[in-house]
Amino acid sequence: MSGFARFIYNIINSRFKKTLVILLTAVAFFASLMMFPTKLVLAKMLPGKSDNTYSIYVDTPTGSSIEQTRKVTKCIDNILMKEKEIKNISVFYAQGIPLDYAGLVKGASMKRTENVAEISVNLTDKHTRDEPSFLMTQRLRPIIDKKCSNIVKGTNIKLIEQPSGPPTLASIVVEVQGDNIKESRKLAVEVANILSKTDGLVDVDVMADEIYDKYKLIPNIDKIARSGLSIKQVNNILYLSFEGMIIATKNSENHSDQIPIFLVLSDKTKRLSNSSKDAIRSKLTSLNLMNQRGMMVPLTEVVDIKKVKSEPMIMHKDLKRSINVIAETDMVSQVYPLLDAREKMIEHFSKNYIVEKAGFSTYMFDLYLTNKKTGEKFLLRWDGEMKVTLDTFRDLGAAFIAALVLIFFLLVIYYKSFSISGIILIGSFLSLIGVIVGHWVADQVTQQTFFLTATSLIGFIALMGISSRNSLLLVDFAMSLMAEHGMEKKEAIAVATATRAKPIMLTAVAIILGSALLASDPIFGGLGVALISGTVAAVFVSLLFVPVLMDNAKAINGDKFEDTLIDQEHPNDISITR
Amino acid sequence: MGKRKKYKVKDVAGKLAQGFLKNPLTAVLGIVLLALGWIALTTMPREEDPQIAISGGAVIVAMPGATPGEVENIIVKPLERKLREIRGIEHIYGMAMDNVGIVNVMYYIGEDREDSNLKLYDKVMQNMDKMPKGVMKPLIKPFDIDIDVPIMTLAFYKKKGSLLSTTELVERIKKIQQKINAIENVAKTTLKGAHKEQYNIEVDMGKLSAYHLSMGQIMMAVQSLAVNVPDVKGRTKDGKLTIFGVANAIESVEDVKNVMVANYMGSPIYLRDVAKVEAGIDKQNFQDVGLIKRKDNNIKNSFEKEIPQVTLTVAKLAGTNAVFVAKDVEEMLKEHETEFEKEGIGYIVTRDYGERANEAVNELMHHLIITIIIIALMLVFALGWRESIIVTFTVPAILAVTLFIAFITGQTMNRITLFAFLLSLGLLVDAAIIVIENIHRHLHSHDADSKSMEELLVEATDEVGAPTNIATLAIIMTMVPMAFVGGMMGSFMKPIPLNVPVALFASLVVAYIFTPYLSLKLLKKPTHKHHSKKRDNKEGS
Repeated sequence: MSGFARFIYNIINSRFKKTLVILLTAVAFFASLMMFPTKLVLAKMLPGKSDNTYSIYVDTPTGSSIEQTRKVTKCIDNILMKEKEIKNISVFYAQGIPLDYAGLVKGASMKRTENVAEISVNLTDKHTRDEPSFLMTQRLRPIIDKKCSNIVKGTNIKLIEQPSGPPTLASIVVEVQGDNIKESRKLAVEVANILSKTDGLVDVDVMADEIYDKYKLIPNIDKIARSGLSIKQVNNILYLSFEGMIIATKNSENHSDQIPIFLVLSDKTKRLSNSSKDAIRSKLTSLNLMNQRGMMVPLTEVVDIKKVKSEPMIMHKDLKRSINVIAETDMVSQVYPLLDAREKMIEHFSKNYIVEKAGFSTYMFDLYLTNKKTGEKFLLRWDGEMKVTLDTFRDLGAAFIAALVLIFFLLVIYYKSFSISGIILIGSFLSLIGVIVGHWVADQVTQQTFFLTATSLIGFIALMGISSRNSLLLVDFAMSLMAEHGMEKKEAIAVATATRAKPIMLTAVAIILGSALLASDPIFGGLGVALISGTVAAVFVSLLFVPVLMDNAKAINGDKFEDTLIDQEHPNDISITR
Repeated sequence: MGKRKKYKVKDVAGKLAQGFLKNPLTAVLGIVLLALGWIALTTMPREEDPQIAISGGAVIVAMPGATPGEVENIIVKPLERKLREIRGIEHIYGMAMDNVGIVNVMYYIGEDREDSNLKLYDKVMQNMDKMPKGVMKPLIKPFDIDIDVPIMTLAFYKKKGSLLSTTELVERIKKIQQKINAIENVAKTTLKGAHKEQYNIEVDMGKLSAYHLSMGQIMMAVQSLAVNVPDVKGRTKDGKLTIFGVANAIESVEDVKNVMVANYMGSPIYLRDVAKVEAGIDKQNFQDVGLIKRKDNNIKNSFEKEIPQVTLTVAKLAGTNAVFVAKDVEEMLKEHETEFEKEGIGYIVTRDYGERANEAVNELMHHLIITIIIIALMLVFALGWRESIIVTFTVPAILAVTLFIAFITGQTMNRITLFAFLLSLGLLVDAAIIVIENIHRHLHSHDADSKSMEELLVEATDEVGAPTNIATLAIIMTMVPMAFVGGMMGSFMKPIPLNVPVALFASLVVAYIFTPYLSLKLLKKPTHKHHSKKRDNKEGS
């Protein structure tokens, strides 16, 4: 017997040492699980990636003019122009930047009003740049916010990173659903206030039109009819004068398009002195309408001017009225700010509302609010990246359970024993210790937070298969030693462990080296770390813990293997040739 | 062989090893596999991110003069109810604004795009009779991620001292756009920030009231002249055709200026008297695009003042190679370099997904190669260099098979596909390592001399066959359920469950076929104290 075989033999020969190994493993397992509630390891769906570009969305309040929007972008440009690593900046006024993955779900293609602008920033190559793009946006965000968001009151500026995975509307989306729009708007604003006070959340925005003052020209139908005019004429003349209209086109052989002829009042003369009722009235007096009899009627004669509030856009989601409040996370996982903000909301709203929490589903963070006075019901629904994360984790969890069941059945078919299959399964499940601890270590080593991500879960699922292979080879070899060489059980286990240690180590090293470069990738780092640390744990588990369990299992004996050897030939052939 | 009975092959592993061990076609097979892999590697479409089948669309219905509340009741609510009837829709977003209602639908990820678009059209068209009065015809705009997300954007601008007018610049870019559209696999090209030529009539409000005119009068006056009529065919007595027609009254901006608007106290008032008329750009279009660049586009220089630019966006057809398309566009632009220079047009590539895709793919290929070398080195120390060469050979063979299968099943080469390869790399050398390790053990065991090399190789392969099959099958099984993960993430990750099982299966077959075959060519039995020379000669043959 070699040194290692003797070491294993010593362990499985002593009841105390065996218990110690099992106990230590159990402690390690629970200690690693405790890293989640103690926030030593943080979970997130996908981390950020450094890119050569990012964009800035500017939203001045609804009803702002392009001049006002331009003032804000000018201010942002001035800040950006001080940056050394920016190659060029393109500013798209009143429209979105050419569609990209982020814009696809954030509705960039729908933008066409004067109060929006998007800025696309190109950086130097990420390989030669020291500062990753996500740190740059993190650094610039407060500066831009401080200097530029007050030029036009109520301006919202968002710095948008290219998503490293599938795009979502925002990290955190709270949908305020309810039939009473006024109340919903109030709730939405309160939600936004709570979100913006929560640490780690930035770029909070209520996705609803602001209500602003506007003037309505109320046509005096009686007067219009008596003057021989029509309401259509009134509308047309107003539009023609202030907005302008293409009234005719001219075809041309020298141009690729027709040349439109555009009629409007000159900019100088149509400008209002201020936005008051009198200013409008004085402008309108110089506008005349010609009636059917060829007489001129001043516009002010037939309309009354009234100041009204603008009616904001009504949004529906899945047939229900809803207002979105969105927020981005600033280099942190969205899970923890979400929980914080939700706590605060429950506290805040319980004054005026009866707050009910949602049941267990992927909408598990939802809050149902019932107004104590009016009995009106509202729903605060948490959507966005969080929902996608929960859905993904749920699906991956289901995939994981399915994988467990499939492996178990496969092993039962092969060994015809539940206990052996169980041992192998437990052995592979324990690689979770390595995965969690590995993430903690990676978090300590790297500058930014290293999150447990969806790809870590994929890595863990793959690990299940890999570590079950280790145990499988071990069990197989021990049983064949007992059957063919007639070795005693404990000795056979020890020898098998020692002999199989080399290929187990070799394949483990191959996996570790194979995943080493994976670990440095932003998206697949989790997968790499999960594979590396999980494999290390799997080696320990299969060389120490599994032999102990094997010794305890009655199903492991020589006779059994003889039977299975003959039986397994057949089903196995089928399964592999299929 | 002698006294021992011949080893009975029990597993597929042994059968494969036996069948291919002395077969002359094994080497050919190996070369063919590598060649197929090479073909796939060079011709497979490259992308940065995998394609996610997002389908959806917007139905836009305009109702001039309606308030949001009216639009909600008359347009949005009934439309939402109707669209709800379509199967496969995940979310419906309705927006009721002043004058217009928009309903966006999002299908579940992975729904077939053509089908989804058709269903949307179908539903709206079926219910056209239920359209309320005073509502304009609905616009249906399905969105198309492949065609709508441009892979390239180009910023064109006038250099300092260029004599081109804004509209002339647009004219030039439109010519380029036409040529870019002619390039293979280019789908949709658009211009952003392009201003059209337009005759602007800016009426002075003061003069309007002074001359006692209305805007309507001016409109009518211009419209009455700006008509284009086709020529008329007149027939002569002897049956010949004579063509004559009215010339366009407006040929230039001067003609517009001289439009007579009204008579005031007997003297005619021309348009030029009450308005400024000029040939300019469409000033009502405020969708400008600005460019802030560094002097000479050199990163060391400081930024210059913002100048207007025209952005040309280029999208590619689905399933085509972004790298090739971007390269073709760039070459096309290079050809026009001197022309641009002459006219003072400058351009910057502001987005190039082709380059990004190529970079991402090449970086990962680089990682793959480094990883293979590291593993090969590790095996040299653990098993010896001949064994290491054998295992290292199996890696490209397995990857080649997997890549080729991915190619013929219509996948593209993207980050996730390559990650699937990187992920499987650690796993797929396992089968070969286990086989070679067992061969190694058998060669050095004490009864090695009593068997022929072939028999020994087949036996060594066969012995580990069963547990390796089961173990690999177990890993494949962990990957299969991942294919059923739904949503964005599921689609995004799809290349992993698609490719890793294929790679693992290929790794088994390759390990069973090529490891013993190469071992026969490369490995020798270690010389023991009482070996026979006869055996060694046989190996060499």
